Amino acid sequence: MSTPGTKHDFEPKIIAFVCTWCTYAGADLAGTSRMQYPANVRLLKFPCTGRIDPIFILKAFQQGADGVLVSGCHPGDCHYIAGNFHARRRFAAFRKLLEFVGVDLNRLQFSWVSAAEGGKWVEVVTELTERVRCMGPMLEFKELALEEQWSGKLDSLELQEAYNQIQV
Amino acid sequence: MTQPIDTSIYTAVTDAIRTEAARILSDGTVTAVAGYAAARRKGSSQPIVVSDAGNADKLIFTAACVNNLAVYLTKAKKDIPKSGRIGVVVKGCDLRALVGLMGESQLKRDDLYLIGVPCAGVLGSTIQPATELNTDTIAPKCLECVERLPVGCDFVPAVTPPPAPELEKKYASEIARLEAMTPAERWAYWKEQFSKCIKCYACRQVCPFCFCEQCLCDRNRPQMVETTPRPAGNMAWHIVRAMHLAGRCAGCAECERACPMDIPLNLLNRKMAKELKELFDYESGFEVLECGPLATFTEKDDQSFIK
Repeated sequence: MSTPGTKHDFEPKIIAFVCTWCTYAGADLAGTSRMQYPANVRLLKFPCTGRIDPIFILKAFQQGADGVLVSGCHPGDCHYIAGNFHARRRFAAFRKLLEFVGVDLNRLQFSWVSAAEGGKWVEVVTELTERVRCMGPMLEFKELALEEQWSGKLDSLELQEAYNQIQV
Repeated sequence: MTQPIDTSIYTAVTDAIRTEAARILSDGTVTAVAGYAAARRKGSSQPIVVSDAGNADKLIFTAACVNNLAVYLTKAKKDIPKSGRIGVVVKGCDLRALVGLMGESQLKRDDLYLIGVPCAGVLGSTIQPATELNTDTIAPKCLECVERLPVGCDFVPAVTPPPAPELEKKYASEIARLEAMTPAERWAYWKEQFSKCIKCYACRQVCPFCFCEQCLCDRNRPQMVETTPRPAGNMAWHIVRAMHLAGRCAGCAECERACPMDIPLNLLNRKMAKELKELFDYESGFEVLECGPLATFTEKDDQSFIK
């Protein structure tokens, strides 16, 4: 558990996709109740968990997130009646796909946090942050992006040959 | 150990398709029949639309008739009511795609006249179309086929397909092999596979279920998936593609056949089908349903992964 003021070698970036009616209000409650939680988490507010497309999670990882949290209303509490039920199925399938492609699922957390559960929000965020901190940075997607540039090394026979030919 | 597969029924199937096509075209049941015809290379076949009963004897069915004709019905779906009822030659796997499309209100059963094909299997690749069908050249999807005799068609030739050869199920065993790996090994495997992708979108064009008028992946404001064939964009495209087909893909494996870079695309689709079967007890393509597994829910769905 991190205590305020502790210095760490690695501060993970956590992106949290939250629903405006429950989890956002829950996080707000945690703030107004002056509870402490890691500042690593960046909140993105959505109308409903049903609005959160799996592609957002992918994009977050691509843009450098080390962990992603998706959080919304408890089942049955959805402001739009059934948005979180649909989201639950979609994410159940999506995490299986990510796992199959080779993403470590410990970096991806789903939770239900209601507007009254400021304490649970703190708990979820702290646990995810500490877990991702132990795992270190998420390098897979970053390395993919880096591979888009040629390293400048003549690391294959073909390249070496082509290089030799242009020398006069 | 290569064993030939008995395709002798295809002669009888061809005859039956021709007779039936001529009959329904001349009595006005349908205005056109989509089927297969011989192409220029020996043994090869190509899709054809016959609208004249006199041309019905152009239709054939051989082991090289690999295309899923359902794709032509989706891209042309707006014309179908205008041009009347359409006859389609369907294999069991193509029928499953059609059933899925009917569930998604893309097609109406009344607009179609289905000519089912009792199928003994088709070739995995048509690069050498004159190859004899054997246990090596058969398409992997045929080894996992459960519908050699299409059900619910308007006409099926009275021929019994030979029993499926007892062979290793390639997709199932490959999925099991990948599942046994560590995440890092799987990532390395897919990274290598996806790095081959040239973003030609053949997989999208050939897929009966990719019928969106504007694909999310073509939009650039905001750009969710990079359009250039670079590693990060390739990975995103294939993940998005698999996710959008989850619970819909009927397993015709056309994506894999059309892929010029031999990326095992159907492997992702089969994996998602397997997971959806386990999670929601759903298999696509067997009955016309109003909602697929990801468009509906029950209150008792598994949420063990949610805190």
